[in-house]
Amino acid sequence: MKRVLRMSYLVAGLGGVGFFVMSILLLGVWPGQALEEQIRQTKPDRPLALTASEKRGRVIYAREGCAYCHTQQIRYLSKDVARFGAATLAWETIFDYPHLWGTRRIGPDLSREATVRSSDWQLSHLYAPRALVVDSVMPAFPWLFDGAPDRPKQEARDLLDYLETLGRNRALAGTEGEAHARNACNCSQDEKQFAFGSPVLNASPSLPRRKGDFPKLARSSDLSRGQQAYARYCATCHGNRGEGDGPGAAGLHPRPVNLSEQEYSADRLGFSLWNGVAGTAMPAWRELTPADLSALEEIVRGFHVAQSDPAIPPAVLALGARVYAARCAQCHGENGAGDGSAAGQFAIAPTNFRTQRPNLAASLRALRDGIEGTPMAPWTNELSEAELSAVAYFVRTLYIGDSNP
Amino acid sequence: MVSIDAMRENPASPPAVETSLVYAHGLAAIVTLLISVAFGVLASIELLVPDLVGNSPWLTWGRLRYDHTQGIMLGWLGNAFFAFLYHGVPVLTGRRVTSVKLGQWIFGLWNFAVVVPGWILVLAGFSQPLEWAEFPLVIDAFVVLALLLALLQFLPPFFSRGLEDLYVSSWYIIGGLVFTLLAYPMGNFVPELVPGARGAAFSGLWIHDAIGLFVTPLALAVIYFVIPAATRRPIFSHFLSMLGFWLLFFLYPLNGTHHYVFSVIPMSAQIGAIAASTLLGVDVILVVANLLLSLRGAGWFPRDPALRFVGTGTVFYLIVSIQGSVQAQMAVNQSVHFSDWVVGHSHLAMLGFATFAAAGGLIHAWQRIPWARYNAVLLDWAYWLLVAGVVVMVSDLTIAGLVEAGFWQSTAPWMDSVRAVRPYWLVRTLTAVPIAAGFITLLLGLVTGNRGDGLRAVQQEVGLEPVEAIAPRLAPEVA
Repeated sequence: MKRVLRMSYLVAGLGGVGFFVMSILLLGVWPGQALEEQIRQTKPDRPLALTASEKRGRVIYAREGCAYCHTQQIRYLSKDVARFGAATLAWETIFDYPHLWGTRRIGPDLSREATVRSSDWQLSHLYAPRALVVDSVMPAFPWLFDGAPDRPKQEARDLLDYLETLGRNRALAGTEGEAHARNACNCSQDEKQFAFGSPVLNASPSLPRRKGDFPKLARSSDLSRGQQAYARYCATCHGNRGEGDGPGAAGLHPRPVNLSEQEYSADRLGFSLWNGVAGTAMPAWRELTPADLSALEEIVRGFHVAQSDPAIPPAVLALGARVYAARCAQCHGENGAGDGSAAGQFAIAPTNFRTQRPNLAASLRALRDGIEGTPMAPWTNELSEAELSAVAYFVRTLYIGDSNP
Repeated sequence: MVSIDAMRENPASPPAVETSLVYAHGLAAIVTLLISVAFGVLASIELLVPDLVGNSPWLTWGRLRYDHTQGIMLGWLGNAFFAFLYHGVPVLTGRRVTSVKLGQWIFGLWNFAVVVPGWILVLAGFSQPLEWAEFPLVIDAFVVLALLLALLQFLPPFFSRGLEDLYVSSWYIIGGLVFTLLAYPMGNFVPELVPGARGAAFSGLWIHDAIGLFVTPLALAVIYFVIPAATRRPIFSHFLSMLGFWLLFFLYPLNGTHHYVFSVIPMSAQIGAIAASTLLGVDVILVVANLLLSLRGAGWFPRDPALRFVGTGTVFYLIVSIQGSVQAQMAVNQSVHFSDWVVGHSHLAMLGFATFAAAGGLIHAWQRIPWARYNAVLLDWAYWLLVAGVVVMVSDLTIAGLVEAGFWQSTAPWMDSVRAVRPYWLVRTLTAVPIAAGFITLLLGLVTGNRGDGLRAVQQEVGLEPVEAIAPRLAPEVA
């Protein structure tokens, strides 16, 4: 009897070890092989490996526990895809030693973070998250900086470099890469739907766009809604009174616009709220409802302090027009629409004076000092004082606002 | 009946229990527990006051979070299980553990080459971003070494006795120690060598093996031991015990992929893991039914604090396992995954089930150290404070998870979900008051009071019996 018992325990013991080995084979090794096969089928020819700096940044991301609040894995679910973009493919993770998928989302998923935010925004946010995002619970990382958000140490630069790799290879693969992967992937229709069916690779509502549609926003009288939205989303940079002096402004180049000095057309506001201002830290706000956006528009309009111009002698305006044509039109366009022949070269679009009218002081300041962080340079060496003020007057005459051209 | 004095004169009446090692690991367990709780509480406060520690990289949220869970698993539960094993293995086998000297080495390695340096290295920025594997690789080497030595220490007594007589606790001890040694390197080393999705498949396995092959078997070893030892009645059904044991060891490893449902990991692996998760819930019902039936007659709140902790841990085990089976289902998983629901689940497992079992095992062993202090009133307080803390915390986090899930299913801005759960996070932080107070009281319950009061309490309660009298009850033939 004892002998039989011993045998039965031996069998069960072997069974236990067998199931453990089976678990590794079935849930570790075999999926690994299937994934390897899928990677082989779908991978673009030469995905970019991480540079030395990006690798160092990855180590910082790992050691600070970033992955414990931010996943790097968009699931095959319509809600995930709608919120973050196309589901994560196996080949996108081939340089991840070890993986940083995460199992908790306190902050948003970062799989497609690369192009969502400007680098000055990322650095400022790492330095002091709540200076940019109201109610954020993210830890601050000031020790990666030399006392200011725009003075990153090497570690902050490395981390930023790493953040800018997130989703990069998938974006670089482009539509051809997607088509290749979709055709080559030996996967089910469902999988294909989630992996490749997303209308946009990166669904972040904050991703700025240089061109694009925007909703026509109705006028809103909901002041409290506007104030709440402004306080939550705008005041950190533009300041409580819209003067561009919020707590997050210090590290941003260009600085956030002083809204009290600018007059905007409704379309211009609608465009910038919906699409952000590409090349600057101004994100898009597509996650807000039309009611919020309309209410925000009213708040922004309310900041503008209208200015009554003194009567400008025609001769001065004529001088301004000549200087503008010679010096400014190349970028800002003949009619001031920001569409000059050189405009396309710049990461930040030149100001469109037909839809945005700076106050005289702002206009003169831009001409004298340039606008830091943009291609707009100071003109004091090239232009006389008379020419400077003439062109400052002149650009204000280009504004057509909401009237049709 | 043996008098206390007789026990004192010959406290190690055969089989010899190395009481000094029970004591050392027991104290280390509660001290590391309090430190781990401090890490967790500070991390939870930082979610409410994120700039609390200002310019200190050492106390940043991520690093505290790593140290919290590693401290709970290795510091608290590891030490508490070792303390229990130094009592349980000699009683179960009638033989001494391999060597006291070896025990001192294991104690030193576990605490001063693993837990303490692991914590410090993580705080200094050396870690790996893998769940339940956050200590850096150099520490993992010492964990593996210590686990090997633990096999040498605890397994020979079982094998010299012969397997056919083994009580179910013995099986859980053997299984837990052996499979932890096998699984630990897989979870800690493989994802460093195998990238991305492929590595995540192994990571998922380890996340479940850490709880399923280390924590659960040893916690169940404690429960299966303490119930018959303290109630003076054999376990309800040895057959059910063994069935539960083998099903658990067959099913637990197959659960891992349920941490990555709807990922790129092949759907058939995900579905297999979900099926195994469902079956596991069934197995746990079987195990818990057997345990609760064995508790018959002891009442819901037995006077013996060890038995009370263990019994409540059993109930938590049932709840957390059924919850686990439910949340592995795709329909549930898709919305609650990534949310505070899961944080609540893991606290119900580690703080509810495992901690209650480990504390019960520790108290049971402690009562039987003739020279140890013991304060039953404080242990009562510890029990009620901890029950209150766990219940409120887990309910709170579960609701918070549902709130988050609701926001994530909508198109609301991400920050709305963060704003919405902050009140729940505040409640969670407040539950640290009863929980920390409970653990401090537990410590005081074991270091204040008169020496030998533990034994006296046992004598009063159920009548003192020599360990030889317990041993036969812990053998299958009796059941």
